[in-house]
Amino acid sequence: MISSKDTVKDALLKAKSKRVYIEGNFVKLLADTSDKNVREYLDECKRKDQENRKKRLAVTKQIQKQNKELEEAAVINKDLLSDLENKMEELEASKREAEGLRDEALNDLEVMQKKTQFELISIIVKLALGVIAGVGILTTVLYLYILSSGLDSKIIETTWSNLFGILLTNSFSIVGTIMGVKYATEKD
Amino acid sequence: MIDTLMLIDDENLFHLVFEDACSMLDIALSIESLDSSDEADKKFKSWFPDNGEDRPQCVFVDLNIIGSSYDGIEMIRKINEDYGNGCVIGIISSSSDQAEIEKAKKVGAQFWIIKSDDIEPRLEEFHKDYEGYVDKTNPFKVYR
Repeated sequence: MISSKDTVKDALLKAKSKRVYIEGNFVKLLADTSDKNVREYLDECKRKDQENRKKRLAVTKQIQKQNKELEEAAVINKDLLSDLENKMEELEASKREAEGLRDEALNDLEVMQKKTQFELISIIVKLALGVIAGVGILTTVLYLYILSSGLDSKIIETTWSNLFGILLTNSFSIVGTIMGVKYATEKD
Repeated sequence: MIDTLMLIDDENLFHLVFEDACSMLDIALSIESLDSSDEADKKFKSWFPDNGEDRPQCVFVDLNIIGSSYDGIEMIRKINEDYGNGCVIGIISSSSDQAEIEKAKKVGAQFWIIKSDDIEPRLEEFHKDYEGYVDKTNPFKVYR
């Protein structure tokens, strides 16, 4: 072992005998010597130190390069993710817009269907009212003719009475329906 | 050979690259690497004005020191103006932005070394010019 009492030369030669090589900038602090053994040892230390530095430098540079590549890839990934998020948001907005338009179209279709239905009902009701009024007028005219002509009016009397009752009842019903239809149509 | 050299750079991996390259090229005997300008500022403050002999002979400062209060240019300005200069000082950066180079020149940077994968030739060239920076005879130079 190297003792604190050893000279620098002794210490270096002991290290040499154990194949322990000093490294780092400390080697550069040791002055050149004429002693062949010590010089050989220091030359070997310097050679090994240079070799190790070279290896470490190459590895460090490689790691540094890989780190840079990873950092660049992370930036690209972040950008891609951001783009994807933006696209997703746009897609979501388009979906909401499409759903809104669909609801609106369905609503319009429903209104149109109702309107058409109400218009149809209105036509039918008006037609029915016309038919009933026509029959009523015709029967009344026939009844008045029979009364004025002095013919037997028994049957026509009963018919006219029944028909008038039906007419009144149906008329109110039809007028009510028309009012309802009008109200509903105007509201839509 | 430069006896004492300081590197101020936030990238720890670059500390290793720089130290090994300087050692291999026999540029410096002792290298101190710091990763923030705040730390460097504290050291320079402690060396000024009484312990000037403790300060490094040469200082390399990164342009953008992430996580620090000052960038490289402000650090150089502080060392030159607030802490009495007394060392060769310049920028080491991957940037070659002319506007930044001009700013560095204005605050008293003596050189600008562009970092790349192959830093050794630039450091070697800088080492050859070093004496000119010590006696202030060399003009500002960019090592590309």
